[in-house]
Amino acid sequence: MRNPLRGAIFSSAAAAVITALWLVVIPSAGQAQAYVAPRTPDGKPNLNGIWQTLNTANWDIQGHAARAGQVVALGAVGAVPAGLGVVEGDEIPYLPPAAAKKKENFENSLKADPEIRCYLPGVPRATYMPYPFQIVQTPKYILMAYEYAGASRTIYMDNPPASPFDTWMGHSVGRWDGDTLVVDVTSFNDQTWFDRAGNFHSDALHVVERYTPISPYALTYEVTIEDPKVFSRPWKMSMPVYRRLEKNAQLLEFKCVEFAEELMYGHLRKQPSK
Amino acid sequence: MSHRFIASMGALAVMIAVALLAPVPIAGQAKSSTANTTTAAKSWTEPRTADGQPDLQGIWSNATLTPLERPRELAGKQFFTEEEAAEYEKQVLQHNNADRRDNPNTDADVALAYNDSWYDRGTKVVPTRRTSLIVDPPDGRIPALTPEAQKREIARAEARSKRGPADSWEDRNLGERCITRGAPKLPSGYNNNFMIVQIPGTVAILQEMIHEVRIIPLDGRPHVVKNIREWLGDSRGHWEGNTLVVDTTNFNDQVRSTSYNCCGGASANLHLVERFTRVDADTIDYQYTVDDPTTFTRPWTVAVPLTRAPGPIYEYACHEGNYGMANLLSGARAEEKAAAEEAAKKGSR
Repeated sequence: MRNPLRGAIFSSAAAAVITALWLVVIPSAGQAQAYVAPRTPDGKPNLNGIWQTLNTANWDIQGHAARAGQVVALGAVGAVPAGLGVVEGDEIPYLPPAAAKKKENFENSLKADPEIRCYLPGVPRATYMPYPFQIVQTPKYILMAYEYAGASRTIYMDNPPASPFDTWMGHSVGRWDGDTLVVDVTSFNDQTWFDRAGNFHSDALHVVERYTPISPYALTYEVTIEDPKVFSRPWKMSMPVYRRLEKNAQLLEFKCVEFAEELMYGHLRKQPSK
Repeated sequence: MSHRFIASMGALAVMIAVALLAPVPIAGQAKSSTANTTTAAKSWTEPRTADGQPDLQGIWSNATLTPLERPRELAGKQFFTEEEAAEYEKQVLQHNNADRRDNPNTDADVALAYNDSWYDRGTKVVPTRRTSLIVDPPDGRIPALTPEAQKREIARAEARSKRGPADSWEDRNLGERCITRGAPKLPSGYNNNFMIVQIPGTVAILQEMIHEVRIIPLDGRPHVVKNIREWLGDSRGHWEGNTLVVDTTNFNDQVRSTSYNCCGGASANLHLVERFTRVDADTIDYQYTVDDPTTFTRPWTVAVPLTRAPGPIYEYACHEGNYGMANLLSGARAEEKAAAEEAAKKGSR
C-alpha cells in the first residue's frame, strides 16, 4: 500500500520539478498563464510601476486603416494612424439610435470629442491614451495616476460606501481574482468617449477591468463594457499594457487646460477697440 | 459691488483685531500645548510600512483658520492664549459664514458666492495657537522682496493696470482657471484633503483640489534636466530619521499668485524643501521652506499640521465644470457692450 502511494507522491513531485524546469528553460507561446508575478508584502501580485499601451485605440478602438485628419494645416502630423482594433470580434453592438449618435459624433468629433477640451478621459480610455500612467499599489488603496490631464482615480480594495454622485473617472472598487486585479467601475456621467472616433456611452455605463501580469514587462488589460441604454449586449476590449523600462521613467505634467483655453474661451476674449 | 464688499471686509477685520487685542495676552501660555503633545506622543508607537518606513499613509486635511501671514494688527504677538484663540475662531467663523444676510437684495448679499455647505475651512486655529502659519521669520510675514523681485512686481503691476479684470482668462488666477493651486497647497475654502500612499521607493500624494497627484521618488535619482519646467516642480524625497524630506525644483516661471499659492510670488528659481513627520496617530507635522534668493531676501518657513480626515476623497472635476470662466468672460463683454452703447447714446444727444 505505502509503496505505490510514496511512488505517486515522488512522481508528481518530480513532474512538478520537471514542469518548472521546462517553464524556465523553454518558454513558448500559450504558457503565459504560468507566469507568477513578484509579490507585494501582503502577497498580492505587484503591479507597481509606470505603464503604457502601444496601440491606436485612442484614435479608434475598432480596426481602421490610416486616414486623413480633420485639420488641414496639420497634414501628415494630424493623420490617424492605422490600427488592428482592440474590440473583441471588432463589433460594437450599438442599439439603432445609438449607432446614429456614434456616426454623428464621428462626423462632429473636432467639436465634440471631450479630449480636445482636456476633459477627464474616463475609464477605460485613460488606460490606452498615448500617455503613460503609474500604479501605486497598497493593500487598501490602489492609486492610478495618468499623465494626461493629471487625471487620477483611487481603486478601493476595502468595500467603500457607494459613490453619492456621477463622476468622470468612475467609482472603482477592486478585488483580486488569483493574479488578476479586477476593478468594478460604476457611477459614470455620460460625458466621456471611448476614443476620438466618437464611440460613446451613457451614465448607465458599467466597466469591469482585469489587469493580469504576463511577464515582468507586460500586463494583459481586458475590459467588459455594459450599458443597456446604448448597447444591446455587453462587449469586450483586450490589449497588452507595457512597462516603461527607462531607468529614470517618471510621469511628467500634461496639464492641458492651458492648451484648450483659446479653443474654449477665445471667442470671449476682449477685442481691441476700433 | 466688489468695492463695497472689500470695504465691509476691512471693517470686519478691524473689529476682529480689536476683539482679539482686548484680552491681555499672557506670555508663556503657548508652552502648555507643546507639553500636551509630548505627553500624548509617549503613549503612541509610530507605525511602519511593511518595508520599514515611517507610515504617513491615509487621508489628511490641512484645513485651519490660521492665516499664512500674521495680520498686521497682531504684530509682535506670536501666539494666542486659549481664550483669544476661541474668540478668534468665533469671529472668523462668523465672518466666513456665507449663509448670512448682511444686506438683503443688494450686491453684497450675493457676493459671498457659494452657500456655506460648500465650504470646508475647518473650525480651529492650529494647535500651537500660533497667529500665522509662517513660523520663520519670527514676525510671521513673507520676507521683503529683493530689488530684482521688486522690479519684477512693478512690471507685473504695470502690465496688469493696462487690462481689465477679465479681458481674457489669463487675467484670472490659476485656481479659477482650474490649472493648479500649487504644491504644497495651502489651506483654502474647500478641498483641503490629501491622500498619501507609500510603496517601497515612492510616496504619492493626491491633492483633492484639482485632483493633482504628486509622485515622489525616494531612490536618489537626480532631478530632471533643467529645461523641463513644471507647475508643481520636480520632487525627490528621502528619509531623515522619521521625517520624509521632499526637495522640489524645476518650477516654471508662471506668475504665482500670493492668494492661492504656497510660495508668495516665487520665481522659477524656487527651491522648496518640505518635511513630513508623523507625531501621533492623527497628526503629521508638516513644514516647508521657501528658498528663492532671486525673489526673497531670506528663506522662510511655513508649518501647517495635517490631521486625519475621514475620507473618502471624491472627484473634483474643476475644469470640466468651469462654467464660471465662460460666464465671467461673457459678463465682462456684455458690460463693455452696454457701456459702449451708453456712451454712443450720450454722444448722439
